[in-house]
Amino acid sequence: MYELARKALRLAEIAGAEEAEIYYAASHSTGVNFKKDSIENAKDRFSEGIGIRAIVNGAVGFASTNSAAQIENAVEVAVAEARVRESDPDWVSLPSNGNYPTVSGIFDKKVEALELEACIEYSLALIEGTKEVPDTLPTSGGFTRAKGRQLILNTNGIEVEEESTAVSGFVDVITVNGQTSTAYDFAVSRSLDIDFFALGKNAAELALKSNDGIKIEPQKTDVIFHPFALSDIIGEALAPSLDADNIQKGRSGLIGKLGEELAVPELSIYDDGLIEAGIETSVSDDEGVPSQRTTLIERGVLETYLYDSYTAGKAGIKSTGNGSRSSYTSPPSVGLRNFIIDYPQTDVIADTQSGIFVNTVIGAHTANSISGDFSVEARNAFTIKDGAFDKPVKSLMISGNAFELLKQITGAGFDVRKVGGIITPSIRVSNMSVVG
Amino acid sequence: MTGNTQDIKFYDCRVIEGSSASIILDNGKIEEISRNFTKGAGIRALCGGSWGYTSLEGEIDLKQGVEAAAKLAFSMNSSTPKEGVELASINSPQVKDLPEIRIDPRDVSIEEKVDLLKSIETSAKVEGVNSTKVMYLESEFKVEYLSSDGIECDYELLNVGFAVSAVASENGVYQAGRESRFGYGYELFEKENVLELAGKAGNTAVELLNAKTPKGGEMPVILDQELAGVFAHEAVGHASEADLVLEGDSILENRIGEKIASPLITIIDDPTLHEFGYYPFDAEGAQSRRTEIIKNGIFNSYLHSRETAAKLGGTPGNCRAQGYSMPVVRMSNTFVDNGDARFEEMLEEIKDGIYLIGSRGGQVNTGEGIFQFNAEKGYLIRNGELTELIRDVSLSGKTLEILNHVSLVGNDLKMTAGRCGKAGQVVPVSDGSPHLAISKALVGGA
Repeated sequence: MYELARKALRLAEIAGAEEAEIYYAASHSTGVNFKKDSIENAKDRFSEGIGIRAIVNGAVGFASTNSAAQIENAVEVAVAEARVRESDPDWVSLPSNGNYPTVSGIFDKKVEALELEACIEYSLALIEGTKEVPDTLPTSGGFTRAKGRQLILNTNGIEVEEESTAVSGFVDVITVNGQTSTAYDFAVSRSLDIDFFALGKNAAELALKSNDGIKIEPQKTDVIFHPFALSDIIGEALAPSLDADNIQKGRSGLIGKLGEELAVPELSIYDDGLIEAGIETSVSDDEGVPSQRTTLIERGVLETYLYDSYTAGKAGIKSTGNGSRSSYTSPPSVGLRNFIIDYPQTDVIADTQSGIFVNTVIGAHTANSISGDFSVEARNAFTIKDGAFDKPVKSLMISGNAFELLKQITGAGFDVRKVGGIITPSIRVSNMSVVG
Repeated sequence: MTGNTQDIKFYDCRVIEGSSASIILDNGKIEEISRNFTKGAGIRALCGGSWGYTSLEGEIDLKQGVEAAAKLAFSMNSSTPKEGVELASINSPQVKDLPEIRIDPRDVSIEEKVDLLKSIETSAKVEGVNSTKVMYLESEFKVEYLSSDGIECDYELLNVGFAVSAVASENGVYQAGRESRFGYGYELFEKENVLELAGKAGNTAVELLNAKTPKGGEMPVILDQELAGVFAHEAVGHASEADLVLEGDSILENRIGEKIASPLITIIDDPTLHEFGYYPFDAEGAQSRRTEIIKNGIFNSYLHSRETAAKLGGTPGNCRAQGYSMPVVRMSNTFVDNGDARFEEMLEEIKDGIYLIGSRGGQVNTGEGIFQFNAEKGYLIRNGELTELIRDVSLSGKTLEILNHVSLVGNDLKMTAGRCGKAGQVVPVSDGSPHLAISKALVGGA
């Protein structure tokens, strides 16, 4: 199919597209998964396909296929769809500036060359890690490695190709012999720098420590969110409001807030497609716009929203390089790159007199992405007393508002984690409402 | 390929070919029209206790695919040998009684579909609504299944549906209302009063602007059909999936025959119903069939694949996959069966509490048996009457406690179409229930 990408672009022009774009993506992933403490399966997944954007008279049509035999058909459908639509006055053009930065650390030959036997070893390391901790059992998990290749071509001269690799490990653990508690840990990286044994051990320790949870009274208190918990809440309750598409459509809590003090002055947030070895790092976004570092919040002040090429054209500004696709089957829309939360770091737990530490949350996806309101169930939560963990908490609901939260941040830990594309330390928020 | 084919005791292939189309109308403008043509296959091979799985896209060479999966299974079994996997035996399925389609959506022009979306949007844009989005989806696919057991079967399905959302805002407060319907055949848009549904979404968004947030705490509640359906699916259905049970990740492990719920509660999974979770046979070629998960309060059955059915004893038929992914145990159409209570009786029974309506999603920990769901909205119940509208309200607690605290089951079962995620795969399902009155539950609020 790779060889057919250029042909597809020509076909689109012949079919009457004034502008056209071909997005080609291929990937090969190998996963080795376990159930309880035994390896259950190995999966090899080969995926390859193209997505076609065709523009006729300022209207866009889109079609995609993974079948070489359907490419001509898909091109024609995309052009026909564009013809059906009314001209979109907000359409400017497909991207055209192809001066790309260099990025590093996103392709690792060792990952590409990894044999099945090595994948099995890494998966076993996850299991072995959990065995260090008594009275726990892994329930499921696995190791995956992937290699991807992407090519973007358009009729404005964009031609950008890139290869990347990734590895990930995930483990879910449950306690046995008495109380039942669960915990998980995971990590994703561009190369083989993850300690899988430590992931397994950490999840098992967390599950065991969560046993014998106490019930606590409803209260307002300091809550420290682990990077897992924080990135879930930020991703669901804050990030959608930074999306220029939501701004332009009246679906964001941040409309008209540019230049306003949105957060405490110690907080800055960056969206960065360029950092070394980032999971969202690449030379361009998914429509060929060069990647960049964007300051979203500088010392508490909201500086910009995130734009893809369409929303930027509509606003009369430059794209921030946030055109994103989940697969070749969808046209681009605004998405986060590496989303970096920056706050002065201290030994945040030691600095906390009394409060609650929350490792993970469930239900963040039920947040109101416009108002920023969220209500989540805290998991693996612990009370903090005089600067140290005190007791596990059995069940805890935390409700709040993502925008309010930004104004109530009072601390951050040294424990920065890459939770997929969101990069953050543990963050302490004052005056959170919790119900036990 | 080495000479290890004789070590492969089972393999099977699913080839899926189809296309899907979507139209998105956003604030009066067509935002997207797209079509996707796909072909691919998922191939499993079993060697001892190890599964090898290969998925391929595009033009498929099945022989090569089987060899690749066999090689994975063989290597796995060599490096980490373990107890052999047995598969419960099945007969070739009968493919019959597929949902009837009167109007093929492919015979309806894009222009006509766009016009329909525009009228839906107009209906959603009631006074006070400042943003709307309407989505139309259609997909047709053919599934062919064949296995080394000699089973060969296929079917074709065609789905259509739509979703509408409306957002209202006032003084920095944003609230949304959503409605959606999915089914088989374009006549769905005649059967369902889609314009009325759209108006409902718009009205919900506007009403919620002035709704209050309740004080959280333990109290009696009534769940509407949608939220109770989500409970049946998320809290009970998932915990009854036999793969989770075998992983030790279900509170329902070793509970068959035990009383786990109020005797008023019967929960069923039935893929033969022409709801959104319908299929004639599952991803292992097993005939679809109705399963009583809970019968009159007694835990009756897990949901099974061929592998889990052989291990735990049971009948396969609930193994499903998204596209070319490896099949896992899944639900289909899951619901609490009708009781005989009327809604008015429930209000009298509850007296003071909260009526929770709709769902904005939820999550469940099947191992610990705890869950959390956010309702779309609710009403305070005072002295047996519905009073103020409330928002940002959630329900959480322990699955088994809630099941035992059900005091009345309504007679107004209603199903809602949705999509369920598990193991990174999303499949169409439906869930439902009549209204349920629950004597004690933890409600989250301000």
